[in-house]
Amino acid sequence: MTDLVLAIETSCDETAAAVVQGRAILSNVIASQADLHAVYGGVVPEVAARHHLTTVNAVVDEALDRAGVGLAQVDRIAVTRRPGLIGALLVGVATAKALAYAARKDLVMADHLHGHVAACWLDPVALDPPFVSLTASGGHTRLDLVEDYAHPVLLGQTLDDAAGEAIDKGARLLGIPYPGGPGLEALAGQGDATAFDFPVGLRSRGPDDLDFSFAGVKTALLYATRELGDDGVADRRADLAASYQEAIVRPLADRLMRAADAAGVPAVSIGGGVAANGRLRALVQEGAERRGLRVAIPDRTLCTDNAAMIAAAAHFTPAIAWPEFVGEDAMATAPPGGIAA
Amino acid sequence: MTTFALDTATPDPALALVGPDGLLAEAWLGRTPGGGRRVLESAHHLLAMAGTPVDAVDEVVVGVGPGGFTGIRIGIATALGLGQALGIPVHGASTLEALALGAAVARRSSDELVAPVIDARRRQVFAAVYAVEGEGYLHEVVAPAAWDPDDLARALEGHAPVVMAGDGADLVPLCAGCRRAAPGALDRVRAADLVARVRAGGPLPVAPQYLRLPDAEENRLRREREAAAT
Ligand SMILES: [Zn+2]
Repeated sequence: MTDLVLAIETSCDETAAAVVQGRAILSNVIASQADLHAVYGGVVPEVAARHHLTTVNAVVDEALDRAGVGLAQVDRIAVTRRPGLIGALLVGVATAKALAYAARKDLVMADHLHGHVAACWLDPVALDPPFVSLTASGGHTRLDLVEDYAHPVLLGQTLDDAAGEAIDKGARLLGIPYPGGPGLEALAGQGDATAFDFPVGLRSRGPDDLDFSFAGVKTALLYATRELGDDGVADRRADLAASYQEAIVRPLADRLMRAADAAGVPAVSIGGGVAANGRLRALVQEGAERRGLRVAIPDRTLCTDNAAMIAAAAHFTPAIAWPEFVGEDAMATAPPGGIAA
Repeated sequence: MTTFALDTATPDPALALVGPDGLLAEAWLGRTPGGGRRVLESAHHLLAMAGTPVDAVDEVVVGVGPGGFTGIRIGIATALGLGQALGIPVHGASTLEALALGAAVARRSSDELVAPVIDARRRQVFAAVYAVEGEGYLHEVVAPAAWDPDDLARALEGHAPVVMAGDGADLVPLCAGCRRAAPGALDRVRAADLVARVRAGGPLPVAPQYLRLPDAEENRLRREREAAAT
């Protein structure tokens, strides 16, 4: 077997490992900590780091087992080096470095955001460039032009909150437990998206503007709930949820289409945790069909944080030869522009 | 049996390579921020210096704390990664016990107890009290815990004579019958002492000794207690 990559991802609250060969995912194991963090109403970095450490070796074993390969057969090991919670990243990086050092494998220090974009390279989506990619999650909201998987080019990003962050905060205002995404979507499904006129998350600085802003929507929801009072909110929760969700996902879809038009590409893709939202998936599908664009919407497992996408990013990131990687380190933040291969 | 040992719980991370006939090589990363993020790089140099390829290591011993949370995790993740890839056992050892073994040379008599003290930040220290019996053997008199320095000083008074060592010893007020070991080498962990401790007393589980809850959990429990009280 050739081009066999073992990838590890621990940047936030999923402990993940995957074995990928070329575009084929042989295993993709994800141990979610969401239940652990639910009692705090959000991800607690120290809790996440503690849990990654107790889980990561078993998750790696499981990924190798399910793929039916031993570590000796692996060609390269890949790990998320940034961006993310530093304490969480360090567990994955220390583990991957030690594994690669002891097994005498080359190491790829991959970028998490690159992973979200590169997820579309994997089977069965197997999207070939050029295309415009939307990544929307709890930590990031960005558009990239992908003419080459190795070097996505940033077109626009959020100027304040990430889309997923706005969804979680809105869900909390409506009394939906963390993580708020699935609960908000379910509630929105029973409501009228036109009931409330929330400012959509567009900060219009002209037709070429491809940035996002979600702070205003969140504030608008806060004022609406204050005005309605507890009883009023209880009566209209579904309408509030539907209108709020629409104010977040519609601009995501609209800007993705606008970016595709401007770039003149034949395809678009979406990724990140918010790409699991059914309303966003429908709007993107609809908008793309109208324009005759191909749409790549990976399986939900490949949209939310996972290690198969890190293996995909690793395919387009130079490996560091054994043992030169021993001094490599994790980083909390991404460089300007975001993705660096 | 060739044992690789590491401890990254304190601000002065330590490494050692111990062969069947004793110490082969040892090193410290030096006072370094970042909880031993350079530990694998240093390990590579140590192994090269000793002429021991990583594949020749038979077991790993790692300090499980207490100390800096990030440092403890980097050490354990590194140890477990090496163990997993090489298919060799990984054993835990107490950072405080290793510190106590090293500081025992500062005792004025064999019945003087040893209190290793690690700076836990936020005006707290991690400490314990041991009767050191030599060659890796010791007896726990006061179990490891996070202390307010004043409380620790009062507790130590009941166990005098006691000698303190470690980077947190300066934070603890001196009590009657207590003193601090001369600073320097006695204030840092020797990784070879982790191995001595495992060989004499048996290994600990490879699980961090945090001795403190995450802040968010502390706050959540406090809110729960307050809610129950009203
Ligand atoms: Zn992500």
